Amino acid sequence: MGAMILFIFYGSILFFILATALRLRRCMNAPIHLHWELYKGSSIYELTDWWAKTHSTFGKKLWSMVLDILFLRDFYHRNRRFWYPLFVFHIGLYLLILWHVWLFIHAVVGGIETVSIFGWVWGTFSTFLTFIGGLFIFILRMTDEELKVYYPPIHYVKWIFLLLTLVGGIIAVDIHFHSSMPALLKYVREQITFQNFEHKLHPALAPALHILFASVWLVYLPFSHVYQLFFRYYHTLRWDDVPYGRGNEIERRMKEHLERPVTWSAPHIQSGKRWREVASELQQTSLPESK
Amino acid sequence: METEKKKIKLQDISLGTEEPLVTVTADDLMPLPPPLNQKEKKAPYPPLSENQKKNYECSLDGVSALALPKPKSKEEEEKLVERFLRGLEKLLSQKDNWLFWQPLMQSLESCVRCQTCSDACPVYVSSGNQEIYRPTYKSEILRRIINKYIKKRGKIISKLTGDDIELNWPAVARLAELAYRCSLCRRCAQHCPLGSDNGLIGRELRKLFSQEMGIAPKELHDSGTVQQLRVGASTGISSAAFQGMVDFMEDEIEEKWGKRIKIPVDKEGADILLIHNSGEFMSWIENPVAFAILFEAAGLNWTLSSEIYGYEATNYGTWYDDVQFARISLKQVQVAQKLKIKKMVMGECGHAHKGLIVIADRILLDEMNFPRESFLPLLEELVCGDKLKLDPQKNNFPVTLHDPCNFVRLMGIVEPQRRILKKVCPQFREMEPHGVENYCCGGGSGFAIMNSTNFKEWRENISSRMKLKQILETFKDVLDPSIRKYVCAPCSNCKGAIRDILNSKDLWEKHSIYYGGLVELVANALVDTKKPFIEWEWH
Repeated sequence: MGAMILFIFYGSILFFILATALRLRRCMNAPIHLHWELYKGSSIYELTDWWAKTHSTFGKKLWSMVLDILFLRDFYHRNRRFWYPLFVFHIGLYLLILWHVWLFIHAVVGGIETVSIFGWVWGTFSTFLTFIGGLFIFILRMTDEELKVYYPPIHYVKWIFLLLTLVGGIIAVDIHFHSSMPALLKYVREQITFQNFEHKLHPALAPALHILFASVWLVYLPFSHVYQLFFRYYHTLRWDDVPYGRGNEIERRMKEHLERPVTWSAPHIQSGKRWREVASELQQTSLPESK
Repeated sequence: METEKKKIKLQDISLGTEEPLVTVTADDLMPLPPPLNQKEKKAPYPPLSENQKKNYECSLDGVSALALPKPKSKEEEEKLVERFLRGLEKLLSQKDNWLFWQPLMQSLESCVRCQTCSDACPVYVSSGNQEIYRPTYKSEILRRIINKYIKKRGKIISKLTGDDIELNWPAVARLAELAYRCSLCRRCAQHCPLGSDNGLIGRELRKLFSQEMGIAPKELHDSGTVQQLRVGASTGISSAAFQGMVDFMEDEIEEKWGKRIKIPVDKEGADILLIHNSGEFMSWIENPVAFAILFEAAGLNWTLSSEIYGYEATNYGTWYDDVQFARISLKQVQVAQKLKIKKMVMGECGHAHKGLIVIADRILLDEMNFPRESFLPLLEELVCGDKLKLDPQKNNFPVTLHDPCNFVRLMGIVEPQRRILKKVCPQFREMEPHGVENYCCGGGSGFAIMNSTNFKEWRENISSRMKLKQILETFKDVLDPSIRKYVCAPCSNCKGAIRDILNSKDLWEKHSIYYGGLVELVANALVDTKKPFIEWEWH
């Protein structure tokens, strides 16, 4: 059992890193698409000779992304009722993730015995926020007629599992470790510095269960929609006003794409020819079905 | 007594019944403000004739946008379903669908089913929240078909993820029609907190049907892109006919402006090649006339083109077919190259803006990447830079502005048209909402020109209903017919859709609500015209 937990925990971390890398690779290697963006307001196209003007900066877009992700601005403006629990949940989650990062760093480089009570307050408060937000999201998802629409059953299971994970964390910290930050930090240090294998092979139930739950999340995350939140900014699916420029990367990649064969089969398309040829040749076949 | 309507489920898309899943009734429709606040009795669209029902697929909502013939046998049905699946595989393949693969995958994978998009959709809201028109309805069906038939997930995962759609011919036929119940205004995408674009999913579905199965509305394909590639314009105007129209425009200019000018055509080396939606020459000649007067008055070095493809800005491929889109874009740019002009300027046509300036940008390589811009910044320079002598008092009547989705939300041209209107129209008033939050006119993505069977009535009473509501609310304090009002719609297709809704409710005759473009208002404000440019004659 202990060995299994050990294998799942370290395996899930490895899996998370690999799956995330593969997903990022898939995103970065995706073919460059045609412009299809949307605008929140005025763009460079409001100017004459726009191609000769300066375009919005990467920094501006990055800042917009940070605000969107931190405050869930679109939910705030468009779906306020759902935003309240979502915001509480996400703020809690961000704090909880930061707390774990702090925990791991402090366990290795900080003074374990001299840790402030603030560490415990931070972790408990973040877990509480995440739990309350998550619980209300779950209740809304169960009761709100709009939020129930097309929501797949597996997502209800996901929310229950998430709440259990949070409860598991509280049990581990406050019951097993008696809310003692030094005890918790010592345990974390053992985990991340590969010490005390005896302890690992015969783990206590509460921390082992919490680690098991966390491992399941690590395996799931690379397949979840969470990453899409970031990917929509990649290749600037929104608010992209960077035009084609001679000799730039866009041109190189587009030239490759235009050499690809067209595989579509309708009568007006000469399947098998290259995109460049099909686009520049005239083919006037009408569609037989649409009479 | 009203009977409660059956709640439509995703799985109903596969029902093997001839009866439509939904028939929208007058009771379902979103109420309109005064003077149209009386409960409507007439159905929003008539049923198809018995003959049409016998021949065409119409089991979605009793409307036929495609005139899609019914298969003659089970074998034919199975073949069509198989072709749909092959097309779906191509849509999801990076190699086959490189042009839109990334935003499509983003849209398919990121939806969290929060339904924030539903209230953003004018068709869904106007129809009284019909489930089939919910922006996520078609997307969710497609997602589940993909999970079940392409990704082939196991039974347990399928149950948990709800992948329970049966893919049969009724489902394919209904999806084909459903792709033409969304005007691709992408307001839903603008409202999506996760960046899922149900408008794009609709467009990609249209593309699958066109590029793989040869299914598209005849107005967009046969008499649209195919005709344009054959004769030069989707309206069928030939080069010779265009020349005749230019002569007519010169007569009109003399009558209104009091000056006889020679409209520059095929002028090599001009600074500007102005390219109009050819529908303007057919239905609203005053629009190109106004452009000509303003450009001449400002002393611009400009030209029109009589070359095949040079007098037509439209590109219906934008809405349904990447191949046709690419072919037309290349032809249009070749004209500009041949004339050695400095830049192409798009006239009042929304999708031509988005299509040629934005979407085509990356396929116009090397010297084909010719400078292209909107007429709006240029017009703003003329009006706000005091290059024209204008008297705003000539436009002293209530004016409101419709924002065409294609160059406002989808391109970010929001303010120049407002600055122009504020300069020339003392009674300019905004619609609510406006700018990038605007509602579609209901004629977007080809709807304005699709008039076969009962689609026109569906458009006028459902997809354009939100725009009608906005117009009435904007003019609620000036409904008195003695006060002339003007809805400014600087896009040819929007103008057509707005004309049809105003006409269908007699709003010009009863309340003096008129419509037209933007340049007409500027021309009307010119100080030195012989007679008022806007004639207030319904057409």
